[in-house]
Amino acid sequence: MMPLERPGPQVARAHMPHIVVIGFGPVAARLVDGLLPAVQSGQLGVTVVGDELHPAYNRVLVADLGVGRTTVDAITLAATAELEAAGVVLDLGRCVRRVDRARQLVHLSDGRAVHYDKLVFATGSRPVVPKLHGLNPDPNVPLRLPAGVTTLRDLKDAATLHRAVLGGRRVVVLGGGILGVEAALAAAEEGARVTVVHHGAHTLGRSIDADAGQVLAGALQARGIAVAAHARSTAVVLDAAPAGDVPPEASFTALKLDGGGTVPGDLLVLSCGVRPRTEVAAGSGLRTARGILVDHSLQAHHDPQVFAIGDCAEIRCLDAGCRECAGSAGPQGLIGPGWRQAEWLAGFLVRPAEPAPPLAAEQAPVMLLKARGVDVAAAGNVAAGPFDPLPLDNPAGGPGAVAGAPAPLRVSVWADPEHGKYVKMATRDGVLEGFVSVGMPRAAAELVLLFERGAELPADRSALLGLDSAGLPAPNDPSRTVCRCAGVDQRTIAAAVAEGCGTVAEVSARTRAGTGCGGCHGEVRALIEQHFQGAPTPA
Amino acid sequence: MGADTHCPYCALQCAMTITPAAGGPPEIAGRDFPTNRGGLCRKGWTSAALLDHPERLTTPLVRADDGVLRPASWDAALGRVAAQVTATRAAHGADAVGVFGGGGLTNEKAYQLGKFARLALGTSRIDYNGRFCMASAAAAGNRAFGVDRGLPFPVSDLDGAHTILLLGSNVAETMPPFVQHLRGARESGGLVVVDPRRTATADFTADGAGLHLQPVPATDLALLLGLCHLVIHDGLADKAYLADRTTGYAALARSVAAWWPERTSRTTGVPVAQLRETARLLAAGARSGGSYILTGRGVEQHVDGTDTATAAINLALLLGLPGSAHSGYGTLTGQGNGQGGREHGQKADQLPGYRKITDPAARAHVAKVWGVEEAAIPGPGLPAVELLASLGRPGGVRMFFVHGANPAVSAPDSTRVVDRLRSLDALVVCDFFLSETAALADVVLPALQWAEEDGTVTNLEGRVLRRRAAVPPPPGARSELWIMAGLAARLGAPSSFSDDPETVFTELRAASAGGPADYSGIDYALLDSGAAAYWPYPSGGTGTPRLFLDAFAHDGGRAALVPVAPAATGGHDAVTRDPLFAGGALALATGRLLEHYQSGAQTRRVPELAAASPGARLLIHPAAAAARGIPDGGPVTVANARGEAHCTAEYSTAQRLDTVFLPFHFPGLQGANLLTSSATDPVSGMPEFKTSSVTVAPGRVPAGQGSTGHRVVTGLRAGARGASDPGPVDMAGALRAAGARPGTPATERGGA
Repeated sequence: MMPLERPGPQVARAHMPHIVVIGFGPVAARLVDGLLPAVQSGQLGVTVVGDELHPAYNRVLVADLGVGRTTVDAITLAATAELEAAGVVLDLGRCVRRVDRARQLVHLSDGRAVHYDKLVFATGSRPVVPKLHGLNPDPNVPLRLPAGVTTLRDLKDAATLHRAVLGGRRVVVLGGGILGVEAALAAAEEGARVTVVHHGAHTLGRSIDADAGQVLAGALQARGIAVAAHARSTAVVLDAAPAGDVPPEASFTALKLDGGGTVPGDLLVLSCGVRPRTEVAAGSGLRTARGILVDHSLQAHHDPQVFAIGDCAEIRCLDAGCRECAGSAGPQGLIGPGWRQAEWLAGFLVRPAEPAPPLAAEQAPVMLLKARGVDVAAAGNVAAGPFDPLPLDNPAGGPGAVAGAPAPLRVSVWADPEHGKYVKMATRDGVLEGFVSVGMPRAAAELVLLFERGAELPADRSALLGLDSAGLPAPNDPSRTVCRCAGVDQRTIAAAVAEGCGTVAEVSARTRAGTGCGGCHGEVRALIEQHFQGAPTPA
Repeated sequence: MGADTHCPYCALQCAMTITPAAGGPPEIAGRDFPTNRGGLCRKGWTSAALLDHPERLTTPLVRADDGVLRPASWDAALGRVAAQVTATRAAHGADAVGVFGGGGLTNEKAYQLGKFARLALGTSRIDYNGRFCMASAAAAGNRAFGVDRGLPFPVSDLDGAHTILLLGSNVAETMPPFVQHLRGARESGGLVVVDPRRTATADFTADGAGLHLQPVPATDLALLLGLCHLVIHDGLADKAYLADRTTGYAALARSVAAWWPERTSRTTGVPVAQLRETARLLAAGARSGGSYILTGRGVEQHVDGTDTATAAINLALLLGLPGSAHSGYGTLTGQGNGQGGREHGQKADQLPGYRKITDPAARAHVAKVWGVEEAAIPGPGLPAVELLASLGRPGGVRMFFVHGANPAVSAPDSTRVVDRLRSLDALVVCDFFLSETAALADVVLPALQWAEEDGTVTNLEGRVLRRRAAVPPPPGARSELWIMAGLAARLGAPSSFSDDPETVFTELRAASAGGPADYSGIDYALLDSGAAAYWPYPSGGTGTPRLFLDAFAHDGGRAALVPVAPAATGGHDAVTRDPLFAGGALALATGRLLEHYQSGAQTRRVPELAAASPGARLLIHPAAAAARGIPDGGPVTVANARGEAHCTAEYSTAQRLDTVFLPFHFPGLQGANLLTSSATDPVSGMPEFKTSSVTVAPGRVPAGQGSTGHRVVTGLRAGARGASDPGPVDMAGALRAAGARPGTPATERGGA
């Protein structure tokens, strides 16, 4: 069948390559930023098609927006007017119906077709809507959820949550993953009454171990958040809307659980993960798995004109023996890799003639919970415990160790649940393979860096734990420098006092202590007082 | 009677009184003044020890055919220099002669040096060591405010502040008397110090006095973007101020939308709670009590230093700080005349009065003051690192003048710099000691010290101060004004070159009139009256203690918010900073110690200071040291592709686990700048001094290098050039000092 080409504004092919970007989220925005100089110089044409009317915004902050902690303006990443003034064509509020790769055309929902020389999928992902009675999810069709039920992905979702938070309503969060816990903590702190329903033994089950889960549970409880663990939900209960709502509509009132229980609430926030949006790509015959399959140059399999970046892209090259791809877990739903891909691809598209440096392989993801006062960070495998038996082929590298066998995984743990603190570090040859930290922000920050660098941990692990402790008091050492500015130690000052200096000024005149910044005057005074207290009182 | 003057060292320019004493060096006493309030640090107290120092140069030295520096008469030395200038110019053009100035020169000398280069030498090739110091903050100030004055307010304004955010500045060691001005913020719990090390300054935040943020080196820009993000998102921005007094808010807000706190934390290693508390403290101070943001070299001496300083300014503007009577942004100028030295024409792109050398009106004005055709003033030259890299290269500089600087120690990647200096046809150094650079020179001209001559300096607040002659100079040494005048006469230079400081200052006033840094209303009589003269101080007007109260210096009077971002990590753009932490490498930060100043050419010669800090010690966290088998106090080798430094390890839990610290005051094999990179900031030309990648290993300190207190080693890595270790120069008998370079074959100096 010949695709029907409709008349419409088609960008002239001329000599200027034309790039069409599908999607206008944060990753697409970063790509466009990178292409912008080439657009301004007339080297490239760029059209961006996005299904949201609002220009790209920082989706990471949608939960913050939903609890009223930030504004739409503040999370906006792109300015429509400025991009258009620079020559970028923005087609917002528009969907892509299909892509005709044979003719290099993108067919839009309004019937127009746009030619491309290079096509970039930056379609991101969409929230998973669980299979529950009362909801009817089709992974490929965005459905309209009943009133009182929302995902937490876009501006409209944020507005829905914000109304509930402002009203101090009961919010039920379905899902104990990162987004669910973040939303629950933020909503509770901003005044909502929150219940988290999840099917695991503890929240953040994919990222943290059971003990950390216990400590986190304590933190959630302390913030008034109810948690229903081991809970399988089966249905949403919808009821007639309160009088006055026009038009009247059935609205969420409770979540039904397997076993008969219900969790009542005014708003159900679905936080059950995301799934890459691949349907347009798949429909055009591109290979997809979890995401759109691309090689290490972000090029779609078998079509060098097509690229995918961000959440919708899955890097898996055609080389079956590729070690990098073997270890890849597919798209992570994280923004960092997407931005790095966007920056790299921008350079690749702007300077096609130059040999491109290889796109750096992404490391295992690090989880940093976005929450105020609840510090949780984790990465890698944290399932092992400190006293787990060592593998038989390499018992501590001692006698009987098999040559070439990997060093055993070593685990150290520090737990202080009463104070909400817990750290686990799993290392192999001293290098972190996984960690979890709760309530230890400085240690967590360093562990994140050490994990990302693949750097060796200090043999004394407590050097990391100590970062979160208050400083030790200064030792009372006579050779200790009291006045840094003039380099005067305690012994010299004490000697001056013993020789009759009875005021700070006199000590200063004799020793120069206190003649710089004056910061040691208190200590000099204390040494004087100490001297006179110790002296025998005249009879 | 004593003479009231100011300290020879840093930009705080502590007021002091010098009283000549019979039979010894004069006595130094602190003097009450708003900046130092009578206080002096150890360097100031001991500064007189250099006046009659046995190593003092008191006769010109000229390198003889046998490669040995020998005493010469002034007439012979200046004649030699003039002849070499003439020959070099004839053979290679005027730009084959270059000049390197210093931020320690008085205003008069800095001004005259710029004029000397352009008119007497006719060269565009002049820059100065302030490029290593203030260039990034200056560039950021200019683009945000339209003018650059380190502190646009008197330093005493800080006293009552509720919050002070101090980024990359260890004032407790670098300008101790300044710490008095942090007292208010400490008492209100609002001192926030950002430094990868827990420095003496960071220690001031203990016990509830504030916060210490200890980021990963080279992540200051991300940290500031994260703070900007928090201020915007947490509703702490001053919207009325942004609307009335700034441009560019919307684009700025978009540019920081991507720097949410957890991402910032992940990049910088600073916990979110500390970021949020910092933003809160700043906003609280902005509402009442006052908030100040101050930057230092720690955040500025990077390849993204200008952008980092810009981000600090953006943060200040978001909070409505600059141009308010009780809040503000400032950069803490480093060198003694680091402020005045960057205003009057020793910068490659600049004419007096902080004018641009490319601005036709500025050129016309200065040409008129100098009495020359505008065409006689060359165009812009090269910034310091490029200038140094051009030495001895085809089309580059072949004859080089150095005044008040010691680039053999202070410039980045010093091995290469020394190679360049050695490749010159002729090197002329003006100094009062045989510095490591002077030891390489063909002609050394002995200059005066601070207490021996009159002049002015401009302190870190933009206040012009009088330096006064207190003691007679040693016979044989001459002021640099006299030296320039003598050379100008021999070269038949146009215009006039006076050797009288007041006459030169009078000319400087006229040249600066109407420029951003306008000194035309200031004269010696005014300064001698004790008046507090802050520039701009136009003729017939008054000074300006506080800039920006009514308007910023851009057209339209608004400050510009300039979006900035860290270099892309996933893109194709070359990242010029060393990749950090690869394969267990450590980050190296360089900086200053309390006891020493800059390249140490002065302070290493003060016995009390040298005794307190005799050699380079690498500060390393015990855990990082243990992993490398390095004992406390043991010898270490610090290395990267650029070079290798040998020093002693000192355990310090105040360091990050991933970062070591080496002071840059020491020469030879202890030189921190053997390891630093000559990569520069694309806007300011500032080199990346603060972050290099190094490996650290236990190692034997080579013989004789254990404690080079004040010996001079001339042959850096001489072995690499196939020459033997030249060893220390015999400095005995200053009048007869002859700096030999036995390691250098005479044939390499054919042009000398």
